[in-house]
Parts: sequence; structure tokens; C-alpha cells
Amino acid sequence: MKRFRSVVILLFAFALIVAACSDDEGDSGEATTTTAGESTETTAAASLEGTAVTVFGPESSDNEAGAMQDALNIFAEANGMTITYTGARDFSDQINAQAAGGNPPDIAVFPQPGKVIDFGTQGFILPIPAELVDFSRPQWPGGTLETVSALDEVWALPNKTDLKSVVWYNSQIFADGGYTVPTTLDDLWALSTQMIADGVTPWCVGIESGPATGWAFTDWMEDVTLRLQGPDFYDQWVANEVTFDDERVQEIGQTIIDIWNTPGNTFAAGGTIAATPFGDNGEPLANGDCAMHRQASFFAAFFPEGTTVGPGQQIDTFYFPSADDTRPVLTAGTYVSAFRDAPEVWAVMQYLTSAEYSTERQRAQAARVGGGANSGYLSANLQQDLSVYNDLEKFFVETLQNADPARFDASDLMPAAVGAGSFWTEGTSAVNGDKTVADAFAAIQASWPSS
Amino acid sequence: MTTDTTPRAEPEWGVQEVQPLTGRVAGFLRGIPSWILWFLVIVWTVPTLGLFINSFRSRDAQRGSGWWLFFQDAERYGTGLTLDNYRDVLGSEATGGVANGLLNSMAIAVVATIIPIAIAAFAAYAFAWIDFRGRDGLFIFTVALLAVPTQVSLIPLLQMYAGGAHITLPLIDKTLTIFPDLDLAGTIPAVWLTHTGFALPFAIFLLHNYISGLPSDLFESARIDGADHFTIFRKIVLPLSVPVLAAFTIFQFLWTWNDYLIALTMIGGNRQNLPATVVVASLAGEFGLREELLTAGAFVITVVPLIVFFALQRFFVRGITAGSVKG
Amino acid sequence: MDGLFDNRLVITIVGVVAALGISAIVFVGANRLFDLAPRKWSIFSALIGGGSALAFFGLLWGNRLINQPVTTTIVATIIGAAAGYALSLTSDPRLHLGIGALAGAVLGGLIGATLKTSTRPEFDPVALVVGVVVGLAIGFGIWAVRGRTASVTRVALFWGALGWVFGAFLVPDLGGGDQAWAVIAATIGGALFGAWVGTFPNPDANARREIALGSRKYIFLTPALAFIAMTLIIPLIRTGFLSLQSGPPVDLSFTGLTNYADIFTDPTILNLENWTNMFTSQLFWAGVVVLIIGIVVARISGQRTGEGFGINGGSLSALAFGVILLGFAFFAVMRGTISNNLWWIFAVTLFSTGAGLAVAVLADRSRGETIAKSFIFMPMAISFVGAGIIWRFMYIARPETKEQTGVLNSIWVQIGKWSASNTASIIIALILAVIVAGILYIGWTGRQARRSSVVAGAIVAALPLIWLIYRFLGPGIGGVEIVDGVAVASPIFFLTESPFNNFWMMVVFIWIQTGFAMVIFSAAIKGVPADLTEAAGIDGASESQVFWRITVPSIAPTIGVVTTTLIVTVLKVFDIPKVMTNGNFDTQVLANEMWQRAFTELDFGLGSALAFILFLGVLPVMWINIRRMQRQREAVR
Repeated sequence: MKRFRSVVILLFAFALIVAACSDDEGDSGEATTTTAGESTETTAAASLEGTAVTVFGPESSDNEAGAMQDALNIFAEANGMTITYTGARDFSDQINAQAAGGNPPDIAVFPQPGKVIDFGTQGFILPIPAELVDFSRPQWPGGTLETVSALDEVWALPNKTDLKSVVWYNSQIFADGGYTVPTTLDDLWALSTQMIADGVTPWCVGIESGPATGWAFTDWMEDVTLRLQGPDFYDQWVANEVTFDDERVQEIGQTIIDIWNTPGNTFAAGGTIAATPFGDNGEPLANGDCAMHRQASFFAAFFPEGTTVGPGQQIDTFYFPSADDTRPVLTAGTYVSAFRDAPEVWAVMQYLTSAEYSTERQRAQAARVGGGANSGYLSANLQQDLSVYNDLEKFFVETLQNADPARFDASDLMPAAVGAGSFWTEGTSAVNGDKTVADAFAAIQASWPSS
Repeated sequence: MTTDTTPRAEPEWGVQEVQPLTGRVAGFLRGIPSWILWFLVIVWTVPTLGLFINSFRSRDAQRGSGWWLFFQDAERYGTGLTLDNYRDVLGSEATGGVANGLLNSMAIAVVATIIPIAIAAFAAYAFAWIDFRGRDGLFIFTVALLAVPTQVSLIPLLQMYAGGAHITLPLIDKTLTIFPDLDLAGTIPAVWLTHTGFALPFAIFLLHNYISGLPSDLFESARIDGADHFTIFRKIVLPLSVPVLAAFTIFQFLWTWNDYLIALTMIGGNRQNLPATVVVASLAGEFGLREELLTAGAFVITVVPLIVFFALQRFFVRGITAGSVKG
Repeated sequence: MDGLFDNRLVITIVGVVAALGISAIVFVGANRLFDLAPRKWSIFSALIGGGSALAFFGLLWGNRLINQPVTTTIVATIIGAAAGYALSLTSDPRLHLGIGALAGAVLGGLIGATLKTSTRPEFDPVALVVGVVVGLAIGFGIWAVRGRTASVTRVALFWGALGWVFGAFLVPDLGGGDQAWAVIAATIGGALFGAWVGTFPNPDANARREIALGSRKYIFLTPALAFIAMTLIIPLIRTGFLSLQSGPPVDLSFTGLTNYADIFTDPTILNLENWTNMFTSQLFWAGVVVLIIGIVVARISGQRTGEGFGINGGSLSALAFGVILLGFAFFAVMRGTISNNLWWIFAVTLFSTGAGLAVAVLADRSRGETIAKSFIFMPMAISFVGAGIIWRFMYIARPETKEQTGVLNSIWVQIGKWSASNTASIIIALILAVIVAGILYIGWTGRQARRSSVVAGAIVAALPLIWLIYRFLGPGIGGVEIVDGVAVASPIFFLTESPFNNFWMMVVFIWIQTGFAMVIFSAAIKGVPADLTEAAGIDGASESQVFWRITVPSIAPTIGVVTTTLIVTVLKVFDIPKVMTNGNFDTQVLANEMWQRAFTELDFGLGSALAFILFLGVLPVMWINIRRMQRQREAVR
């Protein structure tokens, strides 16, 4: 009988497991509506009390992710809700897996508008309701929302901006050599030549970045293309109407590589340009191994401890000059998209694109970095409070806001196979001399998805 | 001449007895193995030693000079050896914090080690000692699945955890749920199940190797005494297999503890559940900012598996012995 | 933070308890259950009846098909158990049939009554008739083929029931029918199945024992196979399907073998053009020379022992060295993802096995064995994130004008500087010459003692040193050049200079995997019976003879196991290329290529095709391995 009893207990346990496995009766309304449909509920008229929203993005370090969470907490506490931000280093691969696997976050922070468009046209993310588009549009410089528009819908809202058209320079070398900040592209090249003649190495260049090696080269390509061929050509190039094997595109690649390879022009802290981690350019610039380095606005964090950065300091910056009297600016940044159609999600979306967010995020991030140094965060939001930025950052924000015209980083707009693939890898081969520019760019063109 | 103790006939390599080497040369030759051994040990350790020393150095020092020059740091970079990296790693809060990550790793690794052992031991016994039709074919098939690259399973499994598994029956177009929608995506149990499935082919392979090598007379006498398979398994096989079970425990614990991809994919944006490997990798920013923290972070993660390894090492060696020698 | 801490601990403890508890319940419970079959048939029968009903209603419940699932399932379980018990009490066939049909009808009625509105079937007489007729036709077809042994009633009931369920529930649209028809249809279906169950007589004592015995393999294997099916087999099948499709993930279309054709025509994946370049490489000819030395030594020592070919330390090291050189010469000119993967297999398997075996042998019974082995094993405990950073510090390069911060380049550049300086290079050349002289002296004494292995070892060791002396005195080493009268040695760009950057990444993997090989070998060596080796020692065999004649053959199976495990692991290598170069600079491997296609570019078709190629590539290796294992097993028994 003892045996029988144990069997009964066993069956009972089994029944419990089955019961536990399917506790909720009926179909729970699945949260992840991936079909596109105009959302009926938009901004937060309803109470957000007790709701929860998850945000997933690429910024993961304590300063960035922490400041993002701080800024979100302000909104969450004001509305009695919880917002959780998770940052992961492999975000761009992971968001694909999570979306395809049916486990997307409520909101994703995309660094690549090209990906936003892909996700939008494939029906993974929701189109932004008209009210939110109208809310966001006047707050950001012209063209910001057009970058993430497709199929007559806007698929994401701007959240953060990086300025790419910046040259960092060693002011001691400029003072010693009597060099002045160039105002046209020709001046810049002339300055390089002059420096070489004076025995000063003008540029630090390094494009190694682990799995993303090559992106620093594509930035150069984009900035120079924007200046030499103009914004229309740039747009056609992004759309592959001007192909990579086009002579004009190849010529720009060749120009850059020729400049880099001019004897005496380049200091590569890793021995060769392709082997130099891009972050390792800060130390030689500060030490005077080279005079200038072209890199985005977030680069301030890569200088050795104790280096002063800002107008009139050891390291100063100037705008990467244009070829004519326009003022083209290459930008990058993040956009937020929604995967779930719910009032609390749209409310957080609205907050993430607002001037309040930009201000709070910068305030939090500057506090975390401390000492009035560059926070690493930047926003082109036109209505934000500029007093939370230091002088250098104010210069960056103004450059962004006065761009004429602004263009988003082309590699982030191109299909991932090119923009996060062959453009980096083949570009690196060309820089490294493994391939000629013609061969490398033909390979990039060949990798452009056919559909 | 130390070797001229025996007279030599002709200097040809005929069919002759080998002469033992004697004297100083022989002593030297005998010393070579231990030289080579310690040389290899040093070569194997230098990389880790470099990381260890660098984990106590500032970012500028890590970038600026080789780790073997650490004693010049205070002079060259203003900061000598420091615990700052460790302080920042342990004090970080983004991605849930390292302490939370370590607890998650523990929760993942412990359970993801126990489940496969429990399941695989039975299966390995069945493949080794229960005769049934198609056994060898089934065994070959099971072990051949070792070859499936884990990456191909990630998305289907995530889909299953997120929304259950349903098959649509062909022709009649009716959908049948074979795995209920338990909303497991983003939870630690999802990682357990995934690790379990991936571990089973190797676990069965290893345990089968060992269990099938146990002397068959043990089983014969037990059977004569009227023991059934379950009793044999419980009373004879399990106690004798403790070493190989411990061996598998170490391997599986190391793999699940150090896993990054499976945990990140199954947990995704649910940061309170992410394990330490993901948290530490996230310490560095998008563009490699604060990469110096990864040095200290790597050591913080490595402590636990090292403790496990040293604690179980004894069993480990014995465990593999019987299995692999019997083939 | 306290709550969080508790939370994690609770999860771990619950997980451990649940894991152990569920497996105990499943395994112990199932075994106990079937223990009952021979002894207490009535209880067994009741439990099986109740269990079957529970399982079936659980399936309906899990599919959300029935209302009031808790009550319904409990009631159904009780009815099932009662029916099972009742069936066991009588052996009258007609009563048996009746009890079965009755219980089946009640259970069917229960389903029909609780079926959700959305799942009630429409009444479709055509489907019903066709279903039953087709069912019976199939049933009797099989019956006829099988030799008409089974009872006609049983066949008719089973296949009739199946056809009925098919025609009543599966073919028609669901959600349109009324409850009355649902109850009728389910009752009839249930009664048919119940009657079929009733046609089976109660088994006699022998048959019961058979049931108890035969059940064990299922109990032991089912959980493992279920997990494997869930995590590996089903995704694998899905991958196979996906590999035949193309397009974005939401809009896939069948394109046949296009993806495979694309892969094999892509020159970055497979490029067979340059193999002739191999013959112009120094590596190739060096390999040929060393291989010839090895063959000669093997012949000589073989003559001495009377065997055709003498395998010993000297000849084998020369042969292995030659093969490695030839392999590297080959793979260095063969570019493309697939040849990269093959190079990985070749190098990692060879070096990890070799180094693992060497350490295991050398450490065996030497002082500090545990310490030495622990240090070699340590890389296995370090995550790939950690390994990536560690080797960055090893490989990093700095410009000629700066101090090198990477260990390897620091050494390399220092050697270069020495070789450029006259005094230093002469001193080093002299030191090397003394070492060479020593080695040659050892070789000479070895010749005196007729130990060809010593001679060959000496020659193989001396050759590279002589080459070094030449480089130091002659053209220099370490890529030195004289710039403005100062010797400048250029660093090696370990990760960016193709093709050998592939090898430098393999080094990382070798560093990790050697610990695995070592532990297994070390254990195997300890398993070699001591009396064998001691007996050989007494017979006057030298230590190296004992090793090659006794130890190696004894652990041959283990070498096979380690090699195949490594091949599989290496073929799937992903993390290191991903972390270190992400496939740039000609270092792409299949698994990373697949990851990039599927996860970065969302091209699941091509990614799946690559995964499938990977899987198919491993199959022959697994097959050979398992065949070998089986042969051994047969030999043992």
C-alpha cells in the first residue's frame, strides 16, 4: 500500500505541474503587436500609474546607460510607473534576434536609421502616430525625421545626436608652428602639406575597432564626399543610385588613402592605420606625435587623464571645413522605435524625443563624468536648455543646429550588409593596401543586396 | 668519453641492442622533459599574468606601456598600481550591476549543470546496458547532434519561449500546441532549458563512454540477484560513476558560467536577469570607452570557475580516466 | 538590494530543487509505476487508465480547447482510473468491450460538453463518411499486408475511430458547430476508442513482466530525447527548410538550392585558384626537407629494429614538423572562409592534441604535477571576453618609433635590434653556436649509443638554430631596417597581416583547448596499468621506448576521442574570430559568416545554408568516431 500511495503522490505532482504550466485561461492579449496599424491611443491622457516599459539599446557603460536610466527615472517617478533601460554591447545583432524570436522590448534605441527603415518596412516596429510626429518635428533640425521615413510613415523619433565633422587639434603645436585654424578644405590640405614640410606629423589616424573595424574610414569618406560632391550626390550614393564603382566615389576613397599614405602625414599609434584602435589616437595627439585628429564629438573621453579639452585648452577643436560657403555637417545619433502599442509606451517615446529628456540626460551624464568635462552625450534638440552643456559642447550643439545641410552617417543608412559589413571590411582592405581602391569598392558594390 | 664503456664493433646501424646512455649527457637528457614542461607552463601563464597585472593599472598605463613595466607607473602616469578598476567594476550599476550578474550566473550555471546530469545519466545507461532494437542507430544520431552549431537553434527556441510552439497540421490546417506559451523569454529558466538541450549530446557521449566501460560481471551478478535496470542504475552505476559525473560537472559549469551568447539571446533586454559575462562586457561603452575595466571584470568572473575547478579537480582526473581508457 | 539578493537565491534554490525533484519524480515514479505491473495489475491498470486520461485532457487543456479545464481534467482522470481498474477485474471479452466503450463514451461526452464554442466542429457528413471509409481502408490494407494476424474487430474499431475523429473534428471548420453535435461526435469517437482498448485482454504474468521490463528504455531515454528534439532536432529541420529560401525574414520564398550555389561560387568563401603558389613558398620547401629527414630517420631506426618504419620521438617529431610546415604552406595560399576553417581544424587539432599530450606525459609523476596542470588548464576557466582582452595585450603593435606594449612585439623588436647591432648579434650568434655544438655532441653520443631518436632530435633541434645564427650574422631578423643610422625593427601586425593572422587567432584557441586535451590525456596515462610499463622497464626498454611501444597504443582510443571532440569544437569556432577581427583581414570562418548573414543582415536563408554546411561537414567526423567507438566496444565484449 505504501507503494500505491507514493504513486498517487507522483500523479498529483504531475497534475500540479501541468496545472502550473498552463495557468492562465483563455488567450491573453499578446503584448507584441507587430502588425503595423495606426495607433488609436497616443499621448498620455490616460493614467500611467503602475505601468512598466522596457527600453533596450546599445549604450551600456555606467555613464551612458546610467545617465539614460536617471533621465528615465525622472519621468517614471513623476508618473508612478517603472521604466527599465537595458544596454547591451551586441545590441545591433541582439535586436534582430529578439525581434525575430518574438521577444522584443517595448522600445528600442537604434543607432542606425537604415535598420529602423528595415524594421519598419518588415513590420517589426510600429509607425509613429501623427501627434507624436508633430510633437517631435519642430524640436529637431530639419531632415531629422525624414531620415527614418519610409512608405509614407515615420518609424522612429530622434533621441540623441553625435557630431562627426570635428577636427581635434593640439593647440601647443598650432601655437608653436604659427598655424591657424583652416576655414576651407583646401586650407586644411595646405596646412597638412605645410606641417609635413615643417617636420610635424599632421594627422593621427587609426580605424581598428574590433568587430567594427573600418568605421572610422567610412566616416572620412562620408565627410569628404559631402564636401566635394554635395548633399544630393551624397543622398544618391546612400540610395546606391551612385554606385560604389562609380569613378567619383572611388576618387574620393583614393584621395583619402593617398593623403593618409603621404610620407610624414600619418601617425598610427598601432603601427599601421588598420591596426590602430581608433581610441588610441587620443594619447599621441595629446603628446604631440601628431597635430590633428578627425573624430566625432564623443572623442573627448579618449584623451589621457589630466588632458584639458576645450576652447583654448591643450586640445581644441575646429569644424571640419567645407569646400565652399555652405556648412555641411555629418551627424550620427540614436532613434527610438516602439514595438508595443500602449499609452505608456507612447508616453515614454514622447519623453525620449523631448527637450526635457535631452536636458535631464545631459545633466545626469555630466554629473557622472564630473569636473565639467565633456559628458559624451549630445543632442541637437532645438528647445533644450543649453546651460547644461560646457563651452565645447555648446560649440558642438550650435554646429549641429546650424548645419547647412546635415546628413546622417551614410554607413548607418545603407543596408547592414554594406553599412555594417563590406563598407567597413573592404574599406579596411583598401586602407591596409591589401586591395586597390577599385577592387575594394567593386566588392562593396557587389555585396549590395539585390532586392 | 662517457659512453665508451662498451667496445663497439662497427659504426653501422645494424640490428643491435640499444645501448643505454650514461653519464652527464644522459642526466642532461633526462632533465629536458621537466624543462620543457615548465617552459610550457610559463608560456601558458604569461598572457593571464599580463591581464592580471594590467587589471591593477590605470587606463593610460594600460595603453601606454607594457604590463611588465608596471613598477614605473607611478612615475610615468601619476598613478601606481590601484584597485580603482575593481572598485568601478564592482560598483557599477548599469545592466543591473556585477553583483547581481554574478548571482544570476550562479543561478544559471548551477541548475544548468544539474539538469543535464540527471537526464543524461539515465540515457547513457540505457544506451550502454539496455538492449533494444535500433539502439546503436539512435545513439549515433544523438551524439552526431554534437555537431549542430548552437547559433541555429537560438531563434527557434526564443520563439518557443516567447509564444509557445505550435505546429500547423498539413492538409487540414489545424494548429496544435506542443509547447505551451509560458512566457519564458527573458527569464532564467529559458536559459536552463536551452543549456540543457545543448549539453545533452556531449553529456550522453561522455557518460556513455564511461558507463559502457564498467565491468559487465557486476551487472550479471546483480541480475542474477533479481535486480531490475532501475535498481542496477541506482545501486551500482550511480555510485561508480561519481567521478565522471564530477568531471562533466566541471565542464558544464565552466561552459554555462562563461556563456555569453545563449544567455544574452534568451534574456534579451531583461537586465535584472543577465549573467555576469554580459554585465562585464557591457562595462565598456559603445566605442570601447572604459575598456580598461574589462581587465578587472574578466578576473571577477573567473574567480568562481577557478574555485569550482580546484574543488572538483580530484574527481575530475579520476572521472575521465576510466571513461576514456575504456574508449 | 536585499530583496534582489533573496530573489536570485530563491531562483537558484527553486531551480535546483525543481530540477532534482522533477527528475526524481519522473524517473523514480515511472520506474515504481512499472514495477507494479507484474505484481499488482489492478492498481497498475487503474493508474495507466487515469494517467492516459490525464495526459489527453492535459493536452486539450494546454491547447486551450476546453472550458473548466481543472474540474474536467480531474473528473476525466477519475473516470479513466475507474475504467482501468474495472478492466483489470474481468477477463470476459464482451464485458471488457462494454466497459471500454462505456468509459470511452463518457470521456468523449465530457469533451464534447466542455469543448469551447470556438472549437466546436461543424457537421460535415461527407467528411465523416470519407474519413471513416478511408480510415477503414488504410487499416485493413495494413492488416492484409501484415498477414491478417490481428483481430478484425480490433482493426475495425481502431481505424474506424481514427477516421471518425478525423472526419468529425479535424477536417471541418471549427467554431461553427453546435454543442449537441460536438457531444454526439465526441461520444461516438470516444466509444470507438474505448471499445478498441477493451479488445485487449488482461495480460498474463509473463506479459506483465514483459511490460515492466520493456518500459525501462522509454523511461530512461524519453526525457533526454525530448530535450534534444526541442533544442536541436526541430531547429535543425527548420534550418534545413530555411536554407532553401531567400528574402527578408517576413517575406521568405522558396528558391531551392540557390543559397548553396551562392556560397560555393562566392570567392570569399571558397577560392581554389592560388594553390600552385604553394610551390614558390619557403615554407613548402622547408617542409619537404624536414619531411625527408623524418623519413630517413624512420627508415634507419626501422632497419635497426627490423620494422619497416621506425616510429619514435625523433622520427615522429620530424615527420610532424614537416607535415605542419606543408600544411601551413598549403593553407597560407588557399584563401576563403572554408579553407580558413580547414586550417583551423588542422592547426588547432594538431597543436592542442600535441601540446596536451606533451604536458600530460611530461607532468606525469613529476614534481609539481598538480600545479603545472592547473596552470595549463586555467585558460579554460576564462571566458571568451577575457581571452579576447588577454590576447589583445599579447598582440598589440606600436609604431617603430615607440616602445612596444605587446609582449610578443616587444620580444620581436628587441631581437631585431640585437640582430642589427654588431656586438649583440655576434654575442648571440656565439651563444647559439655553443648551444648547437652541445646539441650536436648529444647527437653524436646518441649515435654512439645507436639511439636514432636522439640523433634525429638533435638534428631537428639544431637546424632552426643554425638558421637563426645565419640570420643574426647575415640579413638580420625581426624586420629591421636602418633609418638614419639607427636600427629600427618593425613590429608584426598579428591580427591584420594576412594570411598568418589566421594562425595567431588559432593560437588563442590552442591556448584554451590544450587544457581540455591535457586533462583527458593525463587521466588516460594514469589508467595505463603500471605493471605493463614496469615490466617493459625491467626488460631494458628505454623510457621513450616504453612511451612509444606501450603508453601510446594504450591511450590510442583516447587520442581518437580528443581529436574528434576538438575537430567538432573547432569547426564550430565562433567567439574568437568574432571578438578579435570579426572576419576582417581574410580571417572569416563559417560560424561567424553564418552569424553575420543571419543575425546582422537578417538573411536567414543564406545563414541557414551556411549552418547546414557546417553541420554536414561535421557528420563524417562524428560517424567515423562513433564507428570506431563501436568497434572497440565489440572488441571488448
